[in-house]
Amino acid sequence: MRMEELNELEASALREIVNIGVGNAVTSLSKMIGKQIKIEVPELKIERIEKVPEIAGGADTVVSGVIMHVDGDINGYIMMLLSKETAEAICATISGEEEVDIFNELNQSMIEEVGHILAGSYVSSLSEFLGLELRISPPMQTFDMLGAIMDHILIEMSRNVESTLLFDTFFTLEGHRMEGILLTLFDPESMDKILNRISEMV
Amino acid sequence: MIIVGMADSAVAKNPAKITTLGLGSCVGIALYDKRSCVGGMVHIMLPSVENARSKDNAAKFADTGIPHLLDCMLAEGASKSAIKAKIAGGARMFSFNSNAQLNIGERNVVATKEVLRKLRIPIIAEDTGANYGRTIVLDTENGKLTVKSALKGEKIY
Repeated sequence: MRMEELNELEASALREIVNIGVGNAVTSLSKMIGKQIKIEVPELKIERIEKVPEIAGGADTVVSGVIMHVDGDINGYIMMLLSKETAEAICATISGEEEVDIFNELNQSMIEEVGHILAGSYVSSLSEFLGLELRISPPMQTFDMLGAIMDHILIEMSRNVESTLLFDTFFTLEGHRMEGILLTLFDPESMDKILNRISEMV
Repeated sequence: MIIVGMADSAVAKNPAKITTLGLGSCVGIALYDKRSCVGGMVHIMLPSVENARSKDNAAKFADTGIPHLLDCMLAEGASKSAIKAKIAGGARMFSFNSNAQLNIGERNVVATKEVLRKLRIPIIAEDTGANYGRTIVLDTENGKLTVKSALKGEKIY
């Protein structure tokens, strides 16, 4: 496992690849809702799995979350976590309605679909760039505490590894203060594969 | 307020509150001795340390985390015969799971009960299962456990 000895060049290459992927994802979301979305350059972290909920905004923060499993040549998860306000704003924009109840089924599946499209363009960009075969699972969506939404996948990862490679990208919807996070987790073995691909390319 | 993270534990004496946030499939175990007012909490992720690749964190597993918590409480002056347990969590947040893993929440609850049974610690309250997250707070003044949720209100045990 090379996780702990990531050098500066590798770190910046990884950051760049994720940045491109997230950029594409956000562009597709932006087109879908016809609004500009700003993203921050993703931060790359290697963290103990137990620390992930804190980093993502606090285990008891209530969010609308969509989780997808990434498999194929690499193994990981992509999560889209939106504050209630952001989820409402996205649903309102798509449906054209002013009053949005994000708990009704239609809006729940809308959020689910947004997450799926986001992750889909993210993963296809990674896949194309790295020349790796990647698939995403159907989305799992719910509105609850962030820790509760993600703990089963952290449990799943922690069976085999101690740490995870983590990118968190905050995005801000035009005209709305509230934010969302796109979170990517890859296990150490997957990161080695990505780094090998990078070193083959340069 | 003492915050217990994921795969973490803490012990405290009155006056203090101990909490763990956003339990989904994980299980939070609160132990309390009414006589000494010593309370403890552990937030476990998995049923057993057996088959785990890395075993360095006792608080991660029910079968090592609960005995460890008990030891810490005894060291703080709790007496074993007076300790009672309240447990929460072990939800199944999503009805389907892509990798067909069995319901890990339920398995965590089963393992937790088994460990407590072996330690002869009675469970006097339980708020487990279903499909929503829980935040729990143990008040070491009286042993009351508050279970909060995002949409299902709050209960006190």
